[in-house]
Amino acid sequence: MTERVITLKSFFEEARAGRLTGIRCGQCGELAIPPKEFCPACQKRAWVSVPLTGEGTISSFTIIRVAPRGHAGETPYAVAVVKLAEGVSLLGRVVDLPFESLRVGLPVRFRPLVKNEQTVVGFGPA
Amino acid sequence: MRRVAVIGVGLTRFGKHDRTSAELFAEAAGEAIVDAEIAPSSIRALYYGNVTGGEGERQLHTGPLAATLLGLADIPTTRFETACATSHAAFRHAVMEVSAGISDVVLVGGAERVLHIPTDHATEYFAYCSDASWEQPVGLTFPGVFALIARAHMEKHGTTEEQMAHVAVKNHRHGVHNPKAQFRKEITLETVLKSAYVADPLKLFDCCPFTDGAAAVVLVSEEVARKHRRPVWVLGSAAASDTMFMHEKRDLARVTATERAARDAYRQAGKGPEDVNVVELHDCFTIAEIVATEGLGFFEPGTGGIAAEKGWTSLGGKIPVNPSGGLKSKGHPIGATGAAQICEIVTQLRGEAGPRQVDGARIGLTHTLGGNTATVLVSLFGRD
Repeated sequence: MTERVITLKSFFEEARAGRLTGIRCGQCGELAIPPKEFCPACQKRAWVSVPLTGEGTISSFTIIRVAPRGHAGETPYAVAVVKLAEGVSLLGRVVDLPFESLRVGLPVRFRPLVKNEQTVVGFGPA
Repeated sequence: MRRVAVIGVGLTRFGKHDRTSAELFAEAAGEAIVDAEIAPSSIRALYYGNVTGGEGERQLHTGPLAATLLGLADIPTTRFETACATSHAAFRHAVMEVSAGISDVVLVGGAERVLHIPTDHATEYFAYCSDASWEQPVGLTFPGVFALIARAHMEKHGTTEEQMAHVAVKNHRHGVHNPKAQFRKEITLETVLKSAYVADPLKLFDCCPFTDGAAAVVLVSEEVARKHRRPVWVLGSAAASDTMFMHEKRDLARVTATERAARDAYRQAGKGPEDVNVVELHDCFTIAEIVATEGLGFFEPGTGGIAAEKGWTSLGGKIPVNPSGGLKSKGHPIGATGAAQICEIVTQLRGEAGPRQVDGARIGLTHTLGGNTATVLVSLFGRD
């Protein structure tokens, strides 16, 4: 059995410590989060983990005002897709930025958010 | 492969019901079987769609339950789940069973019941259709998914909240003429624009409602269809998928699965968007209709908002979209929606849609989108 380069568990354990990890295809260089069994670009199974800086810019965002049961007490809150400097994107909760300052292209920086022992991807001011 | 036709359609009233989803399906299927003028005993299989039965009704194994309540307990049945595209996925597989010569008569449809549970519970169950590791913990909702798409479309193409509002106004105007619709009431642009934000830039009136309801269609082989007075032919039925992760979408202003499913369905049918006279598409949110009209090839990328504003998608417009009122006005019982869209197109192609009839419609298209745009189905229909 091949050793997993990174699992969901290890990604979020690293993220909790403030370290964001991506996976790079050892064959074609494709960057992904999370890894796939086969590289979607070249079909190889040769992933290597790479540290990411956590810096990025907002690709799109929304402010959630009607939440699912588990997040009901948190509204309103902002969620964004952030394109990281390395070219791969992540979805995360946006914190410590006024809603009216949010715009596509705004620079932000990764930070872990921990709630009920669960680590969630967050982004704050760059 | 054999040609396949729809010869019977049925649906319940959409809205709040005090019956279980399986009971609702039995009513819709009963109507479809009567409409088809076939003996129930001629049905060889049930392809059934239901999404939240486990969470909302503590009911799984819903296929045999639905068949049992129909009085057809001994036919093979399977429950499908592809989020909001559920019963359209069931339909595509049923088409393959009839087309392959395995069965001559097959029943397809779906049902959903959610209005008996609190809204935040229903919102949570629907969010299970997005990813449990990357999206649910962040608190992304379905309005949130389409808000991300709307923001990207506005940024890239200059689409406005007012253009999105035109979609809601138009679909409510259509829905007034649909006796099965949940909301049979016209609304104004101002109503939409002044409604509260649910997930900016989407407001309450940009969103379809939670709905209870069921829909069913009877599918038959050409040999059986020829004995029937008004078959509607399945010209093509295609599915496409895309990454489950919003952060991996190549372009948030597009739904590429729609583009790929449409390409395959048009190819199967030997038709193109210019041949289509009437469309039922997945307007779970107003922006979804705008993006779908582009992805299906009716308008150039980025111009769907303009088309909505100009009235090109209204009854009487260039390409009438959602004459039934769409998910917005007719309602969206997620397990039933794909089949309900097919019911409307069949009714339109038979010329039986009354005041919402698209005059002379010969080719119709249905488009159903699942969840976070990771599943899309497109089917094309025609009459003799």
